[in-house]
Amino acid sequence: MAEKKQGRLTKVLDYLKHDDPFSKGVAFCPGCGLELLLRFIPRVLGNDIVITGTPSCSAPVLLGQNNQSWHTLSYFGTLMTGAAANATGLVRYYRKAGIDNTVVCFNGDGTANDIGFGNLSGAAERNEPFIYICYDNEGYMNTGIQKSGTTPYGATTTTTPYGSVHKGKNLRRMNLGLKMAMNKIPYTATATLSDLDDLAKKLLKAKEAKERGFCFLHVFAPCPTGWGADPADTIEICRRAVKTNYFPLWEAENGRIRMTKTVKKPKSVGTYTELMKKFNHMTEDDIKILQDDVDYEYCLLGGLSVLEAECQLPVSVKDQGETS
Amino acid sequence: MSSNHYFKHEGPWSDAGDPLMCTDTGDWRTRRPVVDKDKCIFCGFCAIYCPIQVVEMKGDTHFEADLDFCKGCGICAKECPKGAITMISEGEFV
Ligand SMILES: Cc1ncc(C[n+]2csc(CCOP(=O)(O)OP(=O)(O)O)c2C)c(N)n1
Ligand code: SF4
Ligand code: SF4
Ligand code: SF4
Repeated sequence: MAEKKQGRLTKVLDYLKHDDPFSKGVAFCPGCGLELLLRFIPRVLGNDIVITGTPSCSAPVLLGQNNQSWHTLSYFGTLMTGAAANATGLVRYYRKAGIDNTVVCFNGDGTANDIGFGNLSGAAERNEPFIYICYDNEGYMNTGIQKSGTTPYGATTTTTPYGSVHKGKNLRRMNLGLKMAMNKIPYTATATLSDLDDLAKKLLKAKEAKERGFCFLHVFAPCPTGWGADPADTIEICRRAVKTNYFPLWEAENGRIRMTKTVKKPKSVGTYTELMKKFNHMTEDDIKILQDDVDYEYCLLGGLSVLEAECQLPVSVKDQGETS
Repeated sequence: MSSNHYFKHEGPWSDAGDPLMCTDTGDWRTRRPVVDKDKCIFCGFCAIYCPIQVVEMKGDTHFEADLDFCKGCGICAKECPKGAITMISEGEFV
């Protein structure tokens, strides 16, 4: 009986090889996707990683308060404008000192896509050997839910409210993962919390690929507080984001895109938006605009993955080695 | 638990060897997850999806949340494939 029961255990548990370095009672909102992601990373990659990141919802916990800490990891807090530049300094120091470790630059979408994008882009060009993880909660949550470049069309935030003039954000979201993959860095991937085995595999792949240079993970991590969602729905939101192709799961080695999960019959994006108050006001026409955007981006992704398989990648790019 | 490996030399403020900070998050809860042991098929989905990772394996029969820290978000109940977890109002337990 006991053995039969063991056989059914989810294989995700096999990836959790290390201790949770965080204290049990940590001040993230109930149902926060970021909290699950943050506890998951060191349990998969090990507790000897060095994390660096900027002011955001993750910082109060990662940085600690007064002279006490919420976790036992090494953390280096930086400004929003210089996250990837600071991570560059760290990896170069460790390399000079002969220390072989993993540096993880961990930031929200506001830092990665907007305020700290310049130096992220620079680190990608120089192919710095660290892992950059962006947790995407589609806005500047820590300062009171302002819109960011990855906030989707129609979503209400405190800077894109619903009223007589504006009806949520009237711009399309930017595709951060794709624009990083286009830099032909050793490894780029998207991931989310409903597919934890996929996330674990990608973390481990990134740890390996960082020996060849810059790695970027774009992780969709719902924020129930900012999105007006039921905290219990966090995982379901991720699942539907994947099933509607709102957030497709793929990876790219040296820029070559490969889908890691294909959805046979994608659901309409309305089945995703209905779970959050930030989309409440959207009419059928508004949803159609969002749907068109999702379809367009997915089509582009599919096209790129086919095209890239046909094109010969220059050897110099394929074997891009250590930075100078 | 393994301690701070790289920044130890920086100064006492960066040494996480001291007891970690810990908030009484169990106190935030308005509903608590209650597991029906008979329905539980020991799959562990509740444990992997719990954001604060406090759903623990109890022997090889079932899983149960650590109520000292469970925030009562309800994810475990929602993700359980067997509907073995019910969220019950804390008012029932006073
Ligand atoms: C250059 C700069 N501009 C603005 C701020 C104020 N600020 C602090 S946290 C934050 C939000 C960060 O958003 P994001 O990186 O998306 O992380 P999240 O809060 O969503 O976790 C902002 C704007 C800052 N610290 N530095
Ligand atoms: S505001 Fe959102 S991202 Fe920040 S801790 Fe709360 S749920 Fe998490
Ligand atoms: S209710 Fe939420 S915090 Fe509590 S055990 Fe379930 S998933 Fe974890
Ligand atoms: S998800 Fe449900 S069935 Fe699976 S271990 Fe948890 S309580 Fe048991």
